[in-house]
Amino acid sequence: MASRTNADESETSAESAVARRVRLGGSAVLLAIALTAGSIAVGALRDGGTTTTAAAAPSAVSPALLTGGDLDTSIASLQDHLRSQPKDFGGWATLGLAYVEQARTKGDPSRYPQADKALARSLKLAPDNEQALAGRAALAAARHDFADALKYADQVLRQNPYDERALSSRVDALVELGRYDDAAKAADTADARKPGVPVFTRYAYVRELRGDVSTAERVLKQALASATTPGDVAYVAAQLGQLAWNQGDYKAALTYYARALAADEDYIPALEGRARAQAASGDRAAAVKNMADVVARYPLPGPLVELGELYQQAGDQEKADDQYALVDAWTALARANGVNADLDTALAAADHGDKASALRAARAEWKRRHTVHTADALAWALHVNGKDTEALPYARRATATGYRNAAFLYHRGMIERATGHAKDARSHLKAALKLNPGFSTLGAAEARKALKTLEAAK
Amino acid sequence: MTPNSRSGAGRRSLATLVCAALAAGGLAAAGVATLEPGAASASSHREAPLISGDPQYDNTDVYAFVSPDKPDTTTIVANWIPFEDPAGGPNFYQFAEDAQYDIHIDNNGDGQGELLYRFTFKTHTKNKKTFLYNTGAVDSLDDPDLNITQTYDIDLFRLKNQKVEYKTKVADDVPVAPSNVGKASMPNYEKLRDQAVYKLPGGATSFAGQADDPFFLDLRVFDLLYGGNLTEVGNDTLKGYNVNSIALQVPTDMITESKHQPIVGIWSTTQRRNAQGYYSQVSRLGNPLVNEVVNPLKDKDKFNASSPWYDGQFLKNVTNPELPKLIEAIYKIKAPAEPRNDLVDVFLKGVKGLNQPPHVRAAEELRLNTSIKPTDSPKRLGVLDGDNAGFPNGRRLTDDVIDASLQVVEGELVGSKNDLGDAVDKNDKDFEKSFPYVALPTEGSRGPLAKGTTDGADVRNQLGDALQPAGASGSDDTTLIAASAGAGAAGILLIGGGLMWWRRMRTRAY
Repeated sequence: MASRTNADESETSAESAVARRVRLGGSAVLLAIALTAGSIAVGALRDGGTTTTAAAAPSAVSPALLTGGDLDTSIASLQDHLRSQPKDFGGWATLGLAYVEQARTKGDPSRYPQADKALARSLKLAPDNEQALAGRAALAAARHDFADALKYADQVLRQNPYDERALSSRVDALVELGRYDDAAKAADTADARKPGVPVFTRYAYVRELRGDVSTAERVLKQALASATTPGDVAYVAAQLGQLAWNQGDYKAALTYYARALAADEDYIPALEGRARAQAASGDRAAAVKNMADVVARYPLPGPLVELGELYQQAGDQEKADDQYALVDAWTALARANGVNADLDTALAAADHGDKASALRAARAEWKRRHTVHTADALAWALHVNGKDTEALPYARRATATGYRNAAFLYHRGMIERATGHAKDARSHLKAALKLNPGFSTLGAAEARKALKTLEAAK
Repeated sequence: MTPNSRSGAGRRSLATLVCAALAAGGLAAAGVATLEPGAASASSHREAPLISGDPQYDNTDVYAFVSPDKPDTTTIVANWIPFEDPAGGPNFYQFAEDAQYDIHIDNNGDGQGELLYRFTFKTHTKNKKTFLYNTGAVDSLDDPDLNITQTYDIDLFRLKNQKVEYKTKVADDVPVAPSNVGKASMPNYEKLRDQAVYKLPGGATSFAGQADDPFFLDLRVFDLLYGGNLTEVGNDTLKGYNVNSIALQVPTDMITESKHQPIVGIWSTTQRRNAQGYYSQVSRLGNPLVNEVVNPLKDKDKFNASSPWYDGQFLKNVTNPELPKLIEAIYKIKAPAEPRNDLVDVFLKGVKGLNQPPHVRAAEELRLNTSIKPTDSPKRLGVLDGDNAGFPNGRRLTDDVIDASLQVVEGELVGSKNDLGDAVDKNDKDFEKSFPYVALPTEGSRGPLAKGTTDGADVRNQLGDALQPAGASGSDDTTLIAASAGAGAAGILLIGGGLMWWRRMRTRAY
């Protein structure tokens, strides 16, 4: 990272915005490849007759080795081990899984292709081995290929019905495919067979999606009480923070985020959650500072939009537009790579970018899977494109499971207002503001304004 | 929400922005580093942990023997939490509050427990404002400076056909011996441990707390499986690591069926409270090597969740075991003929005329004939060396179960005499002469750092590094291989491999 330098700064504004973005996307991609090629340790994965040096060739074969929290060290020692023991299929499966986990904890999806290679190597050495297939399921889920994730998880569970990772991946896949009843059943099964942090966190999420906040909270607290590694503590505490934030309890959210950051000071979701909770509770200066820190590390659409809105709210439109422009650049980069811009991108674009492409992305995602999140994104993308009648059923669907999400309620209320359902609009806008009055810097203001108008017209 | 106007980007061009973001490492890291579709995913999907540590629920070993200094009593020791690193910081290791730590006793050979001792733990924090384990030097278990303490209850269940006939509370709020965090904090740890030895009504005694891991073996042999580059055996991999022990000494007549039927089968399980509020069995252990070596990978989790009553389902793993075949394939040591009824005896029924109860049902239990008197000069290979007071008649702390099991698996009892072993013949620390017999834990202030590790490294990494094959540099350790490998080192690696799984994975899929 240190070697990255600014490249072409002489860009002019002569080109059309779109052409410029695409071209930039291309060059940024090349730059990115050049810069990260060295860090992608695929070379390290080649088993070819490289002789090991006198340096250690530690054997670290079990994924349990990864639980200590220092994933980087574990991965390095696994790589060393595999250089000297290239036929260790279990080691390759573990390495693959370690990369998936690293992608999660560091927010760095460039690990996925590495994971893919390591798992493929494992399966080549030992076809259908359980560890590698479970790794495949985890990788597919991480890449949002949930149908594949389900397929691999089921394959593993036929061999070993107690495989913790496959049980967990199965819940993830069903949730993300919008099959909530099946997901709840799968979570019960997983919980009966393998109670523990990985299953508890899924169990809680399935309950939260159905509006059962108290069960979600109870189970996450149980998970936190038994979490021992920093990674687990950070993850579970951040989930509790998000749950509290979703219910508008910013004080509790900040406490949980602090707990998460005490375990892992670089845990991105906790950093982001803390900034959002600070923004929602009125501590704008801290929110801006901390969200800028998140964006500097990892400029995903969600935090970029939040930071932009914080600037915009304070009247600094120029800085806000910079953030929104980066969202577009991110999207362009993703598209230039043949990557489907995902839901966050669609939502960000709907509010601050190219509305037509937001709708395209949302429709594409809806085609793949029918979840409350894809329904909400599609509803909102239709709304900003003026297609409110078409949007309404999706907005209703997004809130139908009882999931307590203020943004969903807000979106529904605004769409109801646009379609002339004033009474429903009032009740949903009210519900959004009651549940989580700071759910979005600009969205909450919009909701208040709309509600005021609606009340006045009553 | 205000639509974004592209021209609003002002004096800073988009290129500058992107380049700045790239320079900061963000955009590249955010998933555009590769050209693969699907590689760049944002955060809309909740990525939950795949790798979690839950050693508190991980049953590592069970021992059962006639107490050498009190031959009318039987001692059972069960251990949890493998690889406790004494040097791991201001670290301490607790029993889980949401677990049931159970010791089962089958006294009629039917594969069902007739007695169940259940240990459950509570954690107490004196000063909630600090997370420090101790706030000053600790002189006694009730020292106010010992900030975080645990206590336990013991419930005794009498069962018939797996139904509870009655339940009694035999101990209430008994103190747990703390983790030995170091000399400065605990100048006289032995005193603290003595205070944790607790007399129960009816002549029984119990102990719960930290102890040196009594298991001894050399795990480095594991590497052999993949490259045959074993260059050194003979180091106790578990040297310096602690475990959490539960020990129970009971008058033998309290647990046996009758004077005429003195054989008991013993195993330990851990149940964990799940999200739905009931308890699931996540770990099980009787004999030291069955799940790890005899059961293939796909059955290990199932075994952990099952009870001995249903062990018929694993019978084929015992009569037609994988291990000797693997050894034959790789190391040309001929596998004994199948079906291996000798292994069924050792692992599932007990040896006839020694520790096999009448009307026995094949089930994986540590079987102990309590009528065999303890010996003053125990032999590490136990029954194999003519010492019937040891493994596989129960298991003493000093029994070398790796060597004994390996020799049995390779046919010692069916005419294939062999002398296989891992060259680790005893524990690095001496055991105590009286209850709870386990050795004092290695103290935090002088915990060993495995080769190649630094202070910050976690315990599992240390183990990983400790496993390095010493010959990786091509040094002349070949003589050592020749000496120890010959026939033998071969097999251990497989045992070692199984043990790796066993000791760390018992409650996990990986």
